[in-house]
Amino acid sequence: MGSKMKSNMSKSKYIWYLFVVIGVAISCKKPYNPAIVSSDNHYLVVEGVINSGNDSTIINLSRTVKLSEDVSTQIVTNYTVVIEGEQGGNYALQSEGNGRYDIGPMHLDASKKYRLHITTPEGKQYVSDYVEVKQTPPIDSIGFTPKNNYLQIYANTHDATNNTRYYRWDYSEAWRFHTKFQSSFIVDGGAVRGRRADESIYYCYASDKSSNIVLGSSEKLTQDVIFQTPINTIASNSEKLELRYSILLKQYALTKDGYQFWENMKKNTEQLGSIFDAQPTQLQGNIHNMSDPTEPVIGYVSVTNVQSKRIYINKGQLPNDWIEKYPYDCGMADSAFFSHPKTGSNDVLYYIIQGGGIAVDAIYGPFGILGYTYSSSGCTDCTIRGKVKKPSFWIDN
Amino acid sequence: MKKIYFLSFCFLVLVKLCFAQQNTAVSISVNFHQATIGQFVTELEAKTGYHFYYNPIQFDSLKISVEVNNKPIETVLDLAFKNTDFHYAITSQHQIFLTRGREIQIRLPAGFFENKPGTTPSITNQSKSVSTNAAVADFTDEKEKKVPEATTENKLYEIGIKTNTIQPGKATLSGYVRDGKSGESVVGASIYVTNTKTGVATDQFGYFTIVLPKGRQILSVRGIGMRDTRRQIILYSDGKLIIEMQEQVTSLKEVKISAEKVANVRNVQLGVNRLDIKSIKQVPTVFGEADVLRVVLTLPGVQSVGEATTGFNVRGGSADQNLILLNDATIYNPAHFFGFFSAFNPDIVKDIELYKSSIPEKFGGRLSSVLDITDREGNKKKFTGSAGIGLITSRLNVEGPIIKDKTSFIFGGRITYSDWLLKLLPEEYKHSQASFYDLNLDISHQIDDKNNLYLTSYLSHDQFKLNSDTAYSYSNRNINIKWKHNFNDKLFSLITTGIDRYQYNIASFDNPVNAYKLNFDINQTNLKADFTYYLNRKNTVDFGVSTIYYKLHPGNFQPNDVKSLVAPDVVPAQQALESAAYLGDKYDITDDLSLSAGIRYSLYNYLGPQTVYNYAPNLPKTSSNFLDSTTYSKNKVIKTYSGPEFRLSARYNLGDNTSVKAGYNTLRQYIHLLSNTTAIAPTDVWQLSDPNIKPQYGDQVSLGLYRNFKENTIETSVEVYYKRLRDYLDYRSGANLVLNHHIENDVLGTQGKAYGIEFLIKKTTGKANGWISYTYSRTFLRQDNINEGELINGGAYYPANFDKPHDFNFIGNYRFSHRFSVSLNVTYSTGRPITLPIAKYEYGGSERVLYSDRNTYRIPDYFRSDFSMNIEGNHKIHQRTHNSFTLGVYNLTGRQNAYSAYFTQQAGIISGFKLSIFAKPIPFINYNIRF
Repeated sequence: MGSKMKSNMSKSKYIWYLFVVIGVAISCKKPYNPAIVSSDNHYLVVEGVINSGNDSTIINLSRTVKLSEDVSTQIVTNYTVVIEGEQGGNYALQSEGNGRYDIGPMHLDASKKYRLHITTPEGKQYVSDYVEVKQTPPIDSIGFTPKNNYLQIYANTHDATNNTRYYRWDYSEAWRFHTKFQSSFIVDGGAVRGRRADESIYYCYASDKSSNIVLGSSEKLTQDVIFQTPINTIASNSEKLELRYSILLKQYALTKDGYQFWENMKKNTEQLGSIFDAQPTQLQGNIHNMSDPTEPVIGYVSVTNVQSKRIYINKGQLPNDWIEKYPYDCGMADSAFFSHPKTGSNDVLYYIIQGGGIAVDAIYGPFGILGYTYSSSGCTDCTIRGKVKKPSFWIDN
Repeated sequence: MKKIYFLSFCFLVLVKLCFAQQNTAVSISVNFHQATIGQFVTELEAKTGYHFYYNPIQFDSLKISVEVNNKPIETVLDLAFKNTDFHYAITSQHQIFLTRGREIQIRLPAGFFENKPGTTPSITNQSKSVSTNAAVADFTDEKEKKVPEATTENKLYEIGIKTNTIQPGKATLSGYVRDGKSGESVVGASIYVTNTKTGVATDQFGYFTIVLPKGRQILSVRGIGMRDTRRQIILYSDGKLIIEMQEQVTSLKEVKISAEKVANVRNVQLGVNRLDIKSIKQVPTVFGEADVLRVVLTLPGVQSVGEATTGFNVRGGSADQNLILLNDATIYNPAHFFGFFSAFNPDIVKDIELYKSSIPEKFGGRLSSVLDITDREGNKKKFTGSAGIGLITSRLNVEGPIIKDKTSFIFGGRITYSDWLLKLLPEEYKHSQASFYDLNLDISHQIDDKNNLYLTSYLSHDQFKLNSDTAYSYSNRNINIKWKHNFNDKLFSLITTGIDRYQYNIASFDNPVNAYKLNFDINQTNLKADFTYYLNRKNTVDFGVSTIYYKLHPGNFQPNDVKSLVAPDVVPAQQALESAAYLGDKYDITDDLSLSAGIRYSLYNYLGPQTVYNYAPNLPKTSSNFLDSTTYSKNKVIKTYSGPEFRLSARYNLGDNTSVKAGYNTLRQYIHLLSNTTAIAPTDVWQLSDPNIKPQYGDQVSLGLYRNFKENTIETSVEVYYKRLRDYLDYRSGANLVLNHHIENDVLGTQGKAYGIEFLIKKTTGKANGWISYTYSRTFLRQDNINEGELINGGAYYPANFDKPHDFNFIGNYRFSHRFSVSLNVTYSTGRPITLPIAKYEYGGSERVLYSDRNTYRIPDYFRSDFSMNIEGNHKIHQRTHNSFTLGVYNLTGRQNAYSAYFTQQAGIISGFKLSIFAKPIPFINYNIRF
């Protein structure tokens, strides 16, 4: 909580700062891309948690890239990754490609210490410090509170033994949504026909993962209690809240050192820019090159059993006046006729069959279909940003 | 007095009408031996036909022995009264007036008809006076006689006990320079003696003392905001003089950066800038309100990390290395509103003085500079006041006599009403609050000629609450009492005692489980005695002692709700005693060579009760090297640091308006501000030196060349300096400074070096005035001791946050008329150093960046220009109120200066941003009223 207080503090400072500045309408924030002499080195980046419980362990390996490069990471393959117990016991991880190395549940002895040992194809050896196994207590509950123009999602947890103290969370979200217009027709073999139920592109599911570092600590409290710690906020007009939203929260216990590493990374990469924020500092993890301790290695390996919990939030649980803002500008659906009343051109052919417009509804005349209303794929096709197939975990209400 | 002049004038005019002018020289022979005045007068009246007028009682003890043959009456009288206190005056009407103690002026002073040119005095001067102007006699009884108040330029004032002939040798002249209208003392007025080319400046009480050759002297007197004047004196022996100066009413916008036009050349000190409130007030500022600290930033060698920041950096020093004194009270946080306003009320402040290099030995405890801010004294003659209305703040000040001419008060207050601004904000900020106020109350009392008492007090308060759940507040509280005592013309003392306090608290209340309040405060109790002794014409000696008792509560963290689970956490109080004794001498070796040498010995005791951690020697002071701890009882001396500090400077005149100066000084600092943010945050903590945190040490050598042009109206100077710092605190990566019981685990002692060259050109008078300064300076820090902990930038020197090599300032004013003037302010500086990332990677679901060496890049250069207009109401002196408007534009060109550049992730993508404050032209208006 001490550090949480601090982080709250600097956030508040930031907000305060912003409001003064916005208040007088005098500040501005502009993109800035200085010419930076990037390091030619590609430093090793190790991310992952050694799962001591009954779930699999995933370690992702990559290397840093220059700022100017288009890709944000460089994936490394053919490394050897082994989890080693201080008192013996080795667990070799499988390479799954894409820099991902994993192993099934290991059920590690919580009284022992473990480390990660990485060997590159060139024979370079990287090891982490031996780390104690921290037990993660279960998540007590996940709650949400509608605020003025956003939804605050928070979590509660506690450790009756007062041993955990430092927590980190990450989450994955999923939500069901629909497009602006429901397309009832489809182009099939150069003609427009009725859309079958299995061809529907109106309802979809989308998902996302947390990109912010979420930390909490009860260090300053008499009991190891985390009460309504903020996890995520969703804007009130977000499409995520349109129908049904779900969040899967994962909770990780951290050692004090591990907490400091994450807090430092958060400060360096998420909390800069205001007057009162700390200056960026070097990041010190717990992984080292065995033969060159000065070589920067990014990452902190901790060992814990991961706890998780999922909740769902329905539209009906939220304020009535929260209306989603559709991400595309759709307006009214356009009309396309087989024979335009003035020009006589075949707009159905031009705009729907050849032009890629998606037919929404038929326009009926006294003698049958005169044409179709149509719109862009952004306004009619949910698959451009989601999947029609329901995720395996999804439970309808 | 005036009545007497007038009567004598009438009398003499009448006499003139009755008698034709006859000017005959009668020669006589007399022989008196122990004659009484009666015998003497009777015989002379018989022999000459002159008529004598005198008071027989005054002459009853006089015995006259004189023998002359065939000499004029003047010779007889000269011989008769030689070496006595008796005087004579002969009119053209054959009258002889005999007086004791002082001479009768039989002619009006030349300036008496100043307003009527062409009128010439009709009485021929036959007085014995050596001057073109007759000496003014004072007919009041000697016992009641006060120190003469010299109000007129053309009078000749006699100082000391009059003798017939001027004795060879020197005498001491002392006294005060005062504002003739308000009775306030004029600080820093220069008194320059043309004959001897010596000069002196008045001290903070308007007091001066100078040793001069006896005889006739002309004193040129110049003071800030006062009309230049001169006084003519005849110095017979040691004596006093009160000089009343007139305010410069007509020239409203005269810039006087230094009180002493010649002083910048003549003064022994280097690196001293003095600004009076008038020049401060005409520099355009962001919200239109005069800002003391913002003007300080335009001086050469002074920089800040950016706009809207609290601290300033002097010659490569950090912001906590400046001692900021308001009437000798230490101000720990000199800003309101996070630096948007300075904490000093411009209506109360009289002037400021910034010492960058030659820090007088009476000051100590900070490494870089002393900013000495002095309030005005209240008007001793009548009640006056002023009020100002700006966009965000309003001000009021009232002053006046409590006992006329003896006791006066001045009160000033400022308050903000910024909440209306916040109401205009978008919803998420709308419920925020921010406010501040500050109050000054000063009382000065003259007990008698030799004793003065001064009470000064200051209170400032800031608070703000965000839409978030946290409320902040901070406050400065200062009070002190000064007793000034003149032992005699040569020795005076100033005894000051006071209490200074700075506190802040943070409270969070929305989440009941986490609700907390955090309090911090620092208290110091000061006692000091300063003495000045004017040993002789060549030596002025300063000496004194001082002591400060610190009591610091580094953090008190408590639950703020009954449901709160916050564990109380109190970082134990720290206490220490910082004492010093000093001795300094300003020695004028020759007319051209002067030396100021001082030594200050400072002694610091860190006191119990305290538990101090002991660490393994020669290893970083981290928890892994912790050995054991020692507990000390109350008032037990835990650790003592001490050492001498040297303050040396010398000046050599190269002609009348050119000089070179050199200086060397050393300083020690026992209190540290812990801040790992770029700008000082109001919630940063102060820390006392203890066994694990060494005091900071700095020394500086500087050299300067000064030259004035055009009769001292244009002042130029060049100064170079080189400075070293030791044990300056920097921070380990990821340091936590709040509620840290063992701060030594998170800090690193670094070494620093700074050097630079400063150019300054000032034009102090005329319709167009102002100054231009340019500074080239560098500041580097280094942490290369592996025993301290992590090496920063591999142990190489790295630029400090405020290292801005090029810095240019232009402040210009042009007065079109007495009622309309314009000011322009232009600032350019190199961007400050920042740490930029060298690589990127993915972690925690987002792109992130890797930072490497500190401060290897810079933000873009800074450029800003401001413009303001001052419009005054009419200038009739006798009207109920005087009004003025100030309006202008801040950041005229609207340049989007980078405050910071940083890389941060948004929605998983890292991107670079440049943040600008005041990125548009900002118009402002201020209305001021004086009553």
